[in-house]
Amino acid sequence: MPTGRESQIVALGGGGFSMESEGSLLDDFVLSLLDAPRPRVCFLPTASGDADHYVVRFYRRFGSCSDASHLSLFRRDQGTRGVEDDLAAHILSQDLIYVGGGNLVSMLGAWRAHGLDTILRRAWRRGIVMCGPSAGSLCWFEQALSAFHGAPRPARGLGLLPYSNCVHYDAEPARRGEYNRFVASGVLPGFAVEDGVALHFRGTVLEQVVSSRRDGRAYLIEPHGGGVHETAMTARFLGEQLKAMESVA
Amino acid sequence: MSATGRQPSEHVTPEERLIFVMGGGGFTMEPANPLLDDYVLSLSAKQEPRILFLPTASGDTTGQINAFKARFGGRTCVSESLSLFRLRALDRPLEELVLDQDILYVGGGSMRNLLAIWRAHELDKLLTEAWKRGIVLAGLSAGAMCWFQWGVTRSSGPPEALEGLGILPGSLSVHADGEPERLPVWLSLLRDGTVPSGWALDDGVGILFRGTKVERVVSSRPGAEAQRVDGIGGELLKKRVEPELLGAQAGHPLGGYDDAVQEMRRVNRLRRERGHRGL
Repeated sequence: MPTGRESQIVALGGGGFSMESEGSLLDDFVLSLLDAPRPRVCFLPTASGDADHYVVRFYRRFGSCSDASHLSLFRRDQGTRGVEDDLAAHILSQDLIYVGGGNLVSMLGAWRAHGLDTILRRAWRRGIVMCGPSAGSLCWFEQALSAFHGAPRPARGLGLLPYSNCVHYDAEPARRGEYNRFVASGVLPGFAVEDGVALHFRGTVLEQVVSSRRDGRAYLIEPHGGGVHETAMTARFLGEQLKAMESVA
Repeated sequence: MSATGRQPSEHVTPEERLIFVMGGGGFTMEPANPLLDDYVLSLSAKQEPRILFLPTASGDTTGQINAFKARFGGRTCVSESLSLFRLRALDRPLEELVLDQDILYVGGGSMRNLLAIWRAHELDKLLTEAWKRGIVLAGLSAGAMCWFQWGVTRSSGPPEALEGLGILPGSLSVHADGEPERLPVWLSLLRDGTVPSGWALDDGVGILFRGTKVERVVSSRPGAEAQRVDGIGGELLKKRVEPELLGAQAGHPLGGYDDAVQEMRRVNRLRRERGHRGL
C-alpha cells in the first residue's frame, strides 16, 4: 500500500491521449512521476458517461506500459471483477488515477452518489498521483469554470487545490473573458491553462508548468483593482527532453 | 426564472397528471415491438406531441439515443434527446427545453447515477414541475423506479433499495421476469418494512398512473404480468394483475397515419427546397 508519499496532481488544460493524436508527451510526463516499475493506472471515464471509445483509447495508450484498469459507474451491475466490487480497495491500490474529460457537473454528481469523491480524497492524501484533462483537471480545484448550458459558469470541484481553474484557455475564446470576469467578481484566484499544457502540483504548491507544445502557456489570474492581473507562465517544453534522451541513445 | 417559482395557474389538476412506468420494454428492449412506445405517444392529447428522451441512466450511450431516433424519428411526433454529458450541444436553457415538451421519456441504466446526475443539474426539480404542468412522464427500469418513493437497483452490483423522487407513492421493482434475482430482494425489503408496498412489473408491462392512482395496466406481450404486493405486519399480501394486451388499434390516435404524415412532410420539404431555389 503506497503511504508516506507526497500528494501530486497533474492538471491538464487539454491534451493527453484523449486529445493529442500522437506522442502524448503529457502522459509520458505523468508516467515519469510514478516510481513503480509497472505502475497501476486506473481510468475514470465518468465525465463522458463512460463512453466506450474513450475507454478503448485509454487502453491503447496505457495498456502496454502499465497495469491498466478502468472504473465504470454505469456498468456496475454487469461486472463481477474486483473493480466493481470494492471501489475503495481498487482506487487505493493504484499509482495513478487518470480522470477523463467531459461534463464536470454530471461527473461530480455520479462520484458523490458512489462515495468516490471521498475515496479520491483519501487516495490523493496517500500520494496516489491524480491527473486528467478538462473536467479531469477542473475537478481537483476548489472552484472551476465549467462550460455547460451553453454559457460558462462557476462550479465547485473536490477542493483539493485551493484555487480556481479554467481549461482550454486558448481553444475556446469565450472562456477567457468569462474566467477573468469571474475572478474579478470574487471567484478564487487561480490558473488558466491552454490545451497541451499541464500544471504539476506537489501538495497544494504549483511546482512546474509543462507542455507538449513549444509555445504552451498557463496563466495565474488574480483580482487587481476591479479587474484581473494575468501573469503568463512559460511552460517547460517536454519535447526537448525527449530529443535529448534520443541523442544520448 | 426558477423551476419552482412558477405561477400555480400553470399547473394542471392532479387528475391531469400522467406517469407511465414500464418494468422493461419499449424501443431499447423491444426494437421489433412498438406497442408500448405507441401507447406512450397516445398519452399526450397533442396530435403531434413533442417527446424528449433522457438517456442519463445509461451515461447517454449512443446506442440508446440511436434506438430512440429509430423508433420515434418516423412517428407522428417531434422527438429529441437530452444529454447531460454533452450539454455544450444545448442551444437553449435546460428549463426551456424540458418544460417545452409534451412527453418526457426516461431510459434505463443506473438508477443511482440517474438521480445523482439529475440532482447535480437540478433536473429533479424541473421534472417534478413538468409533471405538475401536465407533461407526461414515462420510463422503463431505472427510468420507471425513479418516480417512486423507492426502487430496487443494481447500480452498485447486487440488488438494493434506493430512494427515488417520491412523486408516486410506494415502491417499484422492475424486470420481475427478466432479472429474477431482483424480485426476492424486493420482497424481503417489503417484509421487513425497509420499502413501502408497491408493484413488481415483468418486462413488457406498464402501469399508467393518473395523479397517484393506477388507471390502467397494459402489456406489449402475452403472458407478462404485474404484481401488487402489500407488506402488512411482516406478511406479504400478493395480488397478480393481468394487463390489457396492447394491440395495433390501441396505439396513437393517429396510428396508421404515420406513413401519410411522413409523405406529407416529404412533400412540404420538397416544396420548401424548391422555394429556396426560386423554382
